[in-house]
Amino acid sequence: MQSKIPTTKMARGGVVGKAMLKIGVASSKGVVKRAFMSKDKRAESQKETHAEIAKVIIESLGTLKGISVKIAQQVALGLPFLPKEYLDEISKSFNSIPPINKALIRKIIKQELGNYPQNIFDNFENNAFGAASLGQVHIATKDDRKLAIKVQYPGIAKSIDSDLGVLKFALTRFAKGGNIDHLMGEVEARLKEEVDYEIEADNTEHFYKNLKHDLIVIPKVDRELSTKTVLTSSFLEGDGFEEFLAKNPTQKEKNHYAQLIFDSFFMGLYHMQMIHADPNPGNFIFMVDKKLGLIDFGCVKRLDDEFLTSFSKLHVSLMDVLPDEEITQQYADLRMIDRDTPLKMLEFYQEVIKPLDRIYIEIFEGDTYDFKEHNDFSERGFKTIMEVQKKSITAVHNMNEDYIFVDRTLLGYYAMFEKMEATIDTTFAKRLVRY
Amino acid sequence: MKVTQSAKEKTKAKILASAVDLIIEKGFKNASMREMAKNAGVSNPTIYNYFPTKEKILYAYVEQKHKETALILQEIEDFNTYTLREQLQTLIETELELYLEDREFVLQISDMVFHSAGLKLESLYSNNEIFTDMVKDMLEIAIEAEEIPRPPLEEHLPRLFWDYYIMVVAYWVKDDSEMFENTTQFIDHSLGVIEALLQSSIMNKAHDLGMFLFKTHLLSSLEKFSVKKAGLSKLKRKLFEGIENAK
Repeated sequence: MQSKIPTTKMARGGVVGKAMLKIGVASSKGVVKRAFMSKDKRAESQKETHAEIAKVIIESLGTLKGISVKIAQQVALGLPFLPKEYLDEISKSFNSIPPINKALIRKIIKQELGNYPQNIFDNFENNAFGAASLGQVHIATKDDRKLAIKVQYPGIAKSIDSDLGVLKFALTRFAKGGNIDHLMGEVEARLKEEVDYEIEADNTEHFYKNLKHDLIVIPKVDRELSTKTVLTSSFLEGDGFEEFLAKNPTQKEKNHYAQLIFDSFFMGLYHMQMIHADPNPGNFIFMVDKKLGLIDFGCVKRLDDEFLTSFSKLHVSLMDVLPDEEITQQYADLRMIDRDTPLKMLEFYQEVIKPLDRIYIEIFEGDTYDFKEHNDFSERGFKTIMEVQKKSITAVHNMNEDYIFVDRTLLGYYAMFEKMEATIDTTFAKRLVRY
Repeated sequence: MKVTQSAKEKTKAKILASAVDLIIEKGFKNASMREMAKNAGVSNPTIYNYFPTKEKILYAYVEQKHKETALILQEIEDFNTYTLREQLQTLIETELELYLEDREFVLQISDMVFHSAGLKLESLYSNNEIFTDMVKDMLEIAIEAEEIPRPPLEEHLPRLFWDYYIMVVAYWVKDDSEMFENTTQFIDHSLGVIEALLQSSIMNKAHDLGMFLFKTHLLSSLEKFSVKKAGLSKLKRKLFEGIENAK
């Protein structure tokens, strides 16, 4: 017996088809309008078109209910340098996962933890505190401890496959050359990990034990009250990203938090060989006493020595501006360029990768980087990507997923820093990169 | 007197439990009353005092679960802050949760109801007052609190909801998904529809349309006959009375 909202792939394909249709309309509207506009207005209109497209994609994925929203986030973040409007829309999509009402939350808690909420906790807030990846968070108290309980909507894990299939179909339109398969495989692996809260509990504990920094706070997991679909941990009191910005923080405060985010990323990468690979602003809590809370370890990425060595070597080479031939070779070693004749490989590097990594490495050129001054960082990145896509060059078949994940996480952070108009000091990170 | 009453209840519960076990083990047809009595440690005549027929055991089981559900719902402190949909959903989820330990038994009842003439669905209604009364209460409170407009045929809704519940059970016994998560979603989504129906005026509008068609067209054609046969006007009057009463 099957049930539910668009069940068959065809039905879901139908919804996506509708979305593609809408995208077509949104783009062409932009084109027509732009043709008659002055130069300044053109940029504005392009922004509107991007925002519109982003909205359509997310909206239609939202109606698919299942896990699509999450996939959209993953994929969008996986394609580096998406315009800011996309990211805005994506962060909003956190709210479109179906709500778990009082009856359902009661049922899930009883089923997973063996008793009704009222019998387990001293107090349990039936109304969700906030949306979380693939579910929602409830606040409870038990023995004077304030707890955050993340609860997953039933049946999510099962919908991954069909949703991914549909999305792959939809995305081949965006990705020229079909080099999306490897990335999709990686995204699928991340998602399957992310729906299993036991893995997230392991990851959280790992960070709790190993990420040593006086100002970084990581929640403590309560194993007794956690299962595959319920995750209980200590509640971190503080402001979310938007709240923090709304309170008009001083430049110093903004720099402080951006620096913590930036440094903790490199600490994870080099000290733990593990990164928090979901750069959603919602995963940071701006706490009192200059502390920064890190939450939601559903999406982490482990990296091996071999990767770290080549990653560091490449970054050092880029910072030191070594000859293109040398850098091309390193990209090939990292499996970011397909093996071919040296000339063809060099050509590919110069045509496709170099324009992007120049922007990317810009951050590390001086001791500090001011995102207020360079507030067009992600826009430039997106434009470059668009230009690169126009050059119909042979596709990369063998992308290094680790590299993509590390990069897209950093880019996600940069988008945040840009919004914060923060200045970051890159000396600590560079020291780690250079060992 | 009170002691006897509670002793009676105890015996009844004991027989019921051993009957459920035996039916799970041997199937409804092959489980004999004699063996049930023996397993429960009561005499043959005693079991017939409590349950004159084997079918009555099934009805008693369903009723027993309603009672337990009612008790569990009473324990929810903030139940009055639940929306109508959440209350109905909790009712259904709690019943199913209680059914879980006797799932194979429920499977048998369900098969008998849907696949053989062995059990009449109609007979189950008489033992569902506890269930329908709970639904009736929830509806009345929701109407009074103006959460939903007063629906047409209000007094029939609890029974309709029972029919819906039977459908949910039928879905659940065939559900092979992990933790019955398909059933959970089925309930969640279908109650979303029911909630939307109850909150909208669609039911009232549809009722108005039906009434209009009935009064204008069906009754006027009856009128034609009534010219010839005076007896029909009596029928017509009766129908009107029926409609007025139903309102």
